[in-house]
Amino acid sequence: MQHQLLAIMPELMLIATAVVILLVDPLLPVDGRRGLSWLGIAASLTAAYATWISRGEEFTAFSHGIALDKYSVFFKILLLVVAAMAMLLSEKHLFLKRHLLGDYYGLVLFTTVGMMIMVEAIDLITFFVGLELMALTVYLLAGFFRYQERSIEAALKYFLGGAFASNFMLFGMAILYGLSGSTNYQEISDAVRLGPAPAGPLAIAVVLILAGFAFKVSAVPFHNWAPDVYQGSPTPAAAFLSVGPKIAGFAAILKFFTLILGSQSGTWVPMMIALSLATMLVGATMALLQKDLKRMLAYSSIGHVGYLLLAVVATGHTGRNLGMAAILFYLAAYAFMNMGAFGVLVFMANRRPGFRDTLDDMAGLARRYPWAAAIMSLFMLSLTGVPPTAGFLAKFYLFSAVVDSGFAWLAVIGALFSLVSAFFYLRVIIYMYMREPETELVESGAGLEAGKSWDLDLGLAIAAGGVILLGILPAPVVNAAQDAVVKLLGN
Amino acid sequence: MYEFQSQIGFPILTLLTFLPAVGGLAILFMRGKPRLYKSLTLAVTGVNFLLSLVLIAYFDRYSAEMQFVEKAPWISSLGISYHMAVDGISVLLIMLTALLSLIIVPASWNYIKDREMQFFAAFLFLETGMIGVFCARDLFLFYVFWEIMLIPMYFIIGVWGGPRRIYAAIKFFLFTFAGSLLMLIAIVAIAYLARANQYATPVFDMDLLEKATFSYSVQIFAFLAFFIAFAVKVPMWPLHTWLPDAHVEAPTAGSVILAGVMLKVGGYGMLRLCIPLFPDAVVAIAPYILVLSLIAIVYGALVSLVQKDLKKLVAYSSVSHMGFVTAGIFALNVIGIEGGIMVMFSHGLLTGALFLMVGFMYERLHTREIADMGGLAGPFPVMAGFLLFFTLASLGLPGLSGFVGEFLSLMGLFTYNKAMAAVASIGIILAAAYLLWMFQRVMFTGLRDDKWYKFPDFSLREMASLLPLGFLAIWAGVYPNTFLQLIQPSATRITEKIAPYLADHGGAIERLFASLGGLF
Repeated sequence: MQHQLLAIMPELMLIATAVVILLVDPLLPVDGRRGLSWLGIAASLTAAYATWISRGEEFTAFSHGIALDKYSVFFKILLLVVAAMAMLLSEKHLFLKRHLLGDYYGLVLFTTVGMMIMVEAIDLITFFVGLELMALTVYLLAGFFRYQERSIEAALKYFLGGAFASNFMLFGMAILYGLSGSTNYQEISDAVRLGPAPAGPLAIAVVLILAGFAFKVSAVPFHNWAPDVYQGSPTPAAAFLSVGPKIAGFAAILKFFTLILGSQSGTWVPMMIALSLATMLVGATMALLQKDLKRMLAYSSIGHVGYLLLAVVATGHTGRNLGMAAILFYLAAYAFMNMGAFGVLVFMANRRPGFRDTLDDMAGLARRYPWAAAIMSLFMLSLTGVPPTAGFLAKFYLFSAVVDSGFAWLAVIGALFSLVSAFFYLRVIIYMYMREPETELVESGAGLEAGKSWDLDLGLAIAAGGVILLGILPAPVVNAAQDAVVKLLGN
Repeated sequence: MYEFQSQIGFPILTLLTFLPAVGGLAILFMRGKPRLYKSLTLAVTGVNFLLSLVLIAYFDRYSAEMQFVEKAPWISSLGISYHMAVDGISVLLIMLTALLSLIIVPASWNYIKDREMQFFAAFLFLETGMIGVFCARDLFLFYVFWEIMLIPMYFIIGVWGGPRRIYAAIKFFLFTFAGSLLMLIAIVAIAYLARANQYATPVFDMDLLEKATFSYSVQIFAFLAFFIAFAVKVPMWPLHTWLPDAHVEAPTAGSVILAGVMLKVGGYGMLRLCIPLFPDAVVAIAPYILVLSLIAIVYGALVSLVQKDLKKLVAYSSVSHMGFVTAGIFALNVIGIEGGIMVMFSHGLLTGALFLMVGFMYERLHTREIADMGGLAGPFPVMAGFLLFFTLASLGLPGLSGFVGEFLSLMGLFTYNKAMAAVASIGIILAAAYLLWMFQRVMFTGLRDDKWYKFPDFSLREMASLLPLGFLAIWAGVYPNTFLQLIQPSATRITEKIAPYLADHGGAIERLFASLGGLF
C-alpha cells in the first residue's frame, strides 16, 4: 500500500507550483513575469512524467475517494499536455495585451488539478470538489481580460449557467445518495443494480446529472453559453476551456453512465440519443452561419460533443469497450486539433493587432503566412475528419463503435452532419488560399517583430505534430485507450 | 514484422507510392527558384514512371494472384495492416497514372505562374494518393489513400482554377466526400460483421474479406454505399454534375489527372471491391446499373453535342465514355470487364490528350469557346494533326485504342442483353457526330483572326507531352493483346466470384425487394 499523499503527487506538484507562482508574481518586475509560464509548463510536464511512471500501479486512496488506474493515467497525462500547450499558446498573447499577471498560469494549474480530480474520483463528494475547482477557475480564465466588456460578459454568462448546472448535478447526486446510502461509485452501482431502487427518483437523478454534464460539455440544449464565452474569452484561454473541461467532463460522464448507471442504460440511452442528435444538428447548422471564427469553432466543438455522445450511446449497448476506447481516442485527437485551431487565431492576433477573428481577416493568409495557413488547413481537415489526420482516425474509431453496437443509422446521421461540417471547415481554407484580402492589413515592421514568439510556434508545432502522428501512427494511443477502459469495466 | 514478396528484391509498391510524397515534402521545405521545384517534380515523376515500367516488366501476367505483396502491422488492435499488392488491373492503371503525372509536368511548365511550389507539391501528393489506391489491399488503407487524393485536387481546382473555381472546388469536394462517408460506414460495418466472433478484431484485409460471406440485405446496403461512392467518382448519371464544373475551372494539368486517373479510380473500386465482396447483391442490382450506364452514354453524348465550350464538350464526352466502362463491368462477363478496363485505359490516354490540347489552345487563343475559333488548321497545322488523331481515336476509329475498349464492352453487353447493346451503340454514333462536328468548327470553316498566324505552332515541349499518349493509343489499338493479357487473369478471377450467383439470376430481383421490405 502506497502512502496516500503519493497517490496525488502530480496534483500536489501543480498546487505547489501554482502557489509559488501566485506568491512570486507581485515581487517580479513586469517583464520578468513572462518566465512564470515556463514554471507552469515545467510543472505540468513533470507531473505528467510522475503520472506516467506510476502507470503500472492500481490502487484507491483517501478511503475510496480516488482510484488510480490506467483510465485516470490516460486522462491525467492528456490533461497535463493540454495544460502545457495552453500555457505555450498564452504567454505572448498576454504580454501583447498587457495582462501580465502570473495569476493566469496559477489558474490554469488549479483548473488542471480540478480536472484531474474529476477524472480519478470514485466518490461523489470528491468528484464534486474537483468539478467546482475546475469550474470556478475556468470562469476566472474566461474573464481574465478584465478591462474588456466582452471578457467580463463571457465570465458572467459562464458563471451563472455553470452555477445552475453544478447545482442540478448536486441535486441529482443527492438523490443517488438517498437511493443507495453511499457516495461511493461502486456501492451506488451495486445498490442501483441489485436493490429495488424506485424507478421515478432514479430517472430524475439521471436527468439532473445528465443536464449538469450537458452544460459542462456544452451539449444542446445547454450549449448557449459556449459561443459567447469562446468569443469573449482571451483566445488562448478559449483554446484551453474548449478542450480541458470537455475532456474531464467526458471522462466523468463515462464513469457515471457506464460504471454507476450501467444497469440503467434503458433509461439513459434514449436520452443520450436525443441529446446527441440535437447537439450534432445545432453544432453543424449554426456553425454554417458564423462569420466569427471563435464562434464557428464554438459551434464546431458543440458538433464534436454530439459525436462523442454518439459513442456514449454505444457504451450503453454491446459495444462498451469499443465505445469507451473510441471516446478516449477522440478526446486526445480533439485536444490537439482544437487547440491548434485556436492557436492559429492567437498567432494571427499577435501578428496583426487589428485582427478580429473573422473569416474576412483570414483572406489571403496563405500568401503572407504560408505555414500558418498550412497548419490551419491541417486542423480544419482534421476537424472535418479527412485522413491522414487524427480527426479521421477518431471519427473512424467512433463510427466503428456506433456501428458495432447496432446503431448503424445513427452513424449514417453522424456522417451526414460530418458532410455539413465539411462545408464550414473548408470555408476557412477557401478564405486562406483562394481569396485575396479586401483591404491590405497594415503590419508595421516593429509590430511584426513584437508578435513573433517561438513558444507559440512550438505550441502550434506540437499540435500539428500530434494531429499528424495520431493520424498516421495511432497504434500506441489506441492501445493505451483500450487498456485504460478494460479495468474500469472490470470493476 | 514487415515482409514483402521478393519478386524484385525491394518493396517496389511502397517506393512507387511514397516517392512522390517525399518529393512533395522536399519541395515544401525547399528555397530557391521555381525552376528547381519543376526540375525536381520532373525527376520524381520520371523515376516513378520508370518504376511503373519495371513493375510491369516483372509482373507475372499469367497469374491471377495478387503480386508484389507487402505486409506490415499498422493498428493491430483494430485489425488494420499496411497491406499492398497488385494484380493486372492495378498494374495497368498504375502505369497510366505514372505516365500522366509525368506528362503534366512539362505541360504546366509555363502555364502555372503563381505559387508554383505549392502547385507541384500538390501534384506529387496527389500521385501518392492515386497510386496508393491502386495498391492498397487493406480496406482502411484504401480509404486513406482514397481521401488523400481528394485534398490536393481540391486545392488544385480552388487555387489555380478559373473564375468560378471556388464553387467548382467545393462542389467537387462535397460530392466526393458525401460518397466517401457512406463508404466509410459500409467499410466499418462489413469489417465488424466479418469477425469470427464478438471479441475478435475487425477484418479490414481484403483477402480475408473476399472469403467472408455477408447476408443478403447487408450485401445490398454495403454494395449501394460503396457503389455510390464510386459512382460519384466515375461519374455516373445522375451524380455527374460536379464534373463539368470541376473540369472547366480546373487548370489543364488538373483536368488531365481528373479525367485520366481519378475517374478511373471509381471504375477500379467497383471492380476491386463492389463485385468481389458483394457478388450476390451485384447480380441483383446490375440491371439497374446498366440502365444508368446507358442513360449516361446517350445523355453524355447528347449534351456534348450542344456544348459551346471546348473543355465542357470533352468533359461531357467523359460521362458518355465512362458509361461504357460501367456498362462493360456490370455486364458481368469476362469480355465486358476487359472492355471496361480497356475503355478506362484508353479514355485516360485520349481524354488526357484532349484536355492537354484544349489547354495548349487556350494558352495561345485565350478562349475555349468553339464559336470564337475556326480555321485553326491554317495557322496551326501540327495542332490540327494532333487534334485529328485524338479526335478519331476518341470516337472509336478501329486501329486506335478507343475502338478496342468500346467494342469489347459492347460485346460483353450484347452477351448480357441485346437491346441494351443496341442502345449503347447509339453512343458511338453520337460520339462521331459531336467530335467530328467540333473538329470541323474548330479547325476548318473560315479563319477568325489573322493575327493567329503570328502565334507559334506546337513547340517540342508540347509535342513531347502528347506523343507518348498517341504512341500508346496506337499500340493499344493495333496490338491490344499486350494489355489484354495483363488484365485477363484478373478479369476472369472477378467473374469467377459472381458465377455461382448468376445461376439464380431470375429470383434475384424479387429477393432484393423482399429484403428491402423486411426492413420496414
